[in-house]
Amino acid sequence: MTFEVLDGGLHTTIQDLGRPGYLATGMPPSGPADRFALGLANLLVGNDPGERYLVGRRPGDAGLEALLFGLKLRVLAETVIAVTGADQAPTLNGEPVPMWRAVRVARGDVIALQRTRSGARTYLAASGGIDVPCFSGSRATNVRAFVGGLDGRALRRGDTLRTRPAGRPLADLARRRLRPELVPSYGPRWRVRVVLGPQDDLFLEESIRTFLEHDWTLSPISDRMGCRYVGPALAFRPRPEYLVEQAGADPSNIVDDTIPVGGIQVPGGLEPIVLHVDGPSLGGYAKIATVISADLGKVGQTRPGEVTNFHAVSTGEAVAALRELEGAISEGSIVAA
Amino acid sequence: MRYDRAIYRPLGDLYLTVEFGDELNLSLNFRVIALDLALRACPIPGVTETILTNRSLGVVFDPFTITHERLVARIEEIEAATGAITELPSRRVTIPVWYGDPWSRECAAAHGAPHNLDYLAELNRMTVDQVIRTHSGTEHWVSAVGFTPACYQAMPLDPAKALTAPKYLRPRKWTPERIVCIAGQLTSFYPVASPGGYQLLGRTPLELYDPTQRNPAFRDGPVLPRVGDRHTYVPIDEARYWEIRRQVETGTYQYEIREETFRVPTERDGP
Repeated sequence: MTFEVLDGGLHTTIQDLGRPGYLATGMPPSGPADRFALGLANLLVGNDPGERYLVGRRPGDAGLEALLFGLKLRVLAETVIAVTGADQAPTLNGEPVPMWRAVRVARGDVIALQRTRSGARTYLAASGGIDVPCFSGSRATNVRAFVGGLDGRALRRGDTLRTRPAGRPLADLARRRLRPELVPSYGPRWRVRVVLGPQDDLFLEESIRTFLEHDWTLSPISDRMGCRYVGPALAFRPRPEYLVEQAGADPSNIVDDTIPVGGIQVPGGLEPIVLHVDGPSLGGYAKIATVISADLGKVGQTRPGEVTNFHAVSTGEAVAALRELEGAISEGSIVAA
Repeated sequence: MRYDRAIYRPLGDLYLTVEFGDELNLSLNFRVIALDLALRACPIPGVTETILTNRSLGVVFDPFTITHERLVARIEEIEAATGAITELPSRRVTIPVWYGDPWSRECAAAHGAPHNLDYLAELNRMTVDQVIRTHSGTEHWVSAVGFTPACYQAMPLDPAKALTAPKYLRPRKWTPERIVCIAGQLTSFYPVASPGGYQLLGRTPLELYDPTQRNPAFRDGPVLPRVGDRHTYVPIDEARYWEIRRQVETGTYQYEIREETFRVPTERDGP
């Protein structure tokens, strides 16, 4: 065993890059809410960051995703860890420990996350990766489907975690860190890029403008399934009568169709919801736009109360942003401290 | 509305949707299934998975392997070469249901709603017995699977056996697992306890989602329902419910699943 959980924190789950490939059964991909942060945590400790988010076949090694505050671990066997993502003022035996770099820890050490100062989700990787059984090819936890991770649930006090054998000698890893210019800053104001559609044509033109120009505040009713934004009401064009019976009485109702990860539903025209990695694959509300895959991590790192502006881009621009993001999850981003 | 030509819509950079119409109509679902089968027969490099819905096919792809524009062009070619669909592989799945079970009653009452079967009877101008006979008197075509694992939507194959039901005006905070439900003409299912707004018909002792995959029916995966399945709902009483439930819990229940070929009704056969 490598770690004992002293405190599971608000909500900590084991995540690798997830299990795409089962959307036709309603099984969401899961995986990290912030692909960059988990990928870098894994790379820093010599692990496999996985192949590709949402479309890959190799989920890479598993780490921990810890929401907002409170995770506390005791080290049971020497290893190298890296803490990335949200800054929850991590400490090692009570002393601040630097983020975005590999840190050697010894038996008996206590790693603790305090309370977030920026960002929502902190990632912790350990050399070799967290070892739990794979479900449908992945270790990613989905608490709603009761699969992956530790018995398909969040971590709690008393759990023990083992790691797989390290791929590289621990001594080689200890000085690795992310290039300082690549360390992301998290909010408090966010600019999230979207591709309009698939149902933007059901909204009034002025509502599309409102969506793109207004400030949207993340609601505390947000999780890995969906992130809800508070702002002005959006309105819909008149629609044919047959949809009242077939799709539902609310003007936002459509006959169910595909929801992509990042799809933005607007039930009742109120509080757009960005569906995330544990979200549904199918749904009956009009979707105004889709968050580009490169910016899903920004949604995952937004804290309740923080303000987001949505900015429309083309699919070409979205793919260019994805190339940049994926390109940065590589050995070239890492230097010796 | 059924479109003459499919509409291709982007869903961000990793997905697109091929939409055949905006309405609920089995003929659209058959086109979705036909296109999905054609894409499987002729895989396009870069396409990683597909999502079948009532009226559209979601396509997930790696944009580093194939561009959105190129993918649309390839699917258009394949779609153009896909002839009319006359037969589909289809499993006939029997699902026993305790209609009007006590959990459904309790759940409706807890949300301030009348017993849903009584409500459906009044709305469809039938007795409760007729509601049950109508719902169990036709096969239901599974036209979409999703929302949550093993949640599905199914349409009655015999239009004369269609019930109508509005969704709850205010969705329920919870619904017990394994409840069979209906809204519009669509039968659906809550595999795990979850919020929801469909009218509650009854409870099945069967698991349709089993992450432990203990029963051989789950050999291929944890989710039983598939688009293109035909469900037959068989009314059972309390004694039979518990008998089956015990067999399901011990992993000995034999699911009734028959692989068959389904002849797709033509437009001339009626709606």
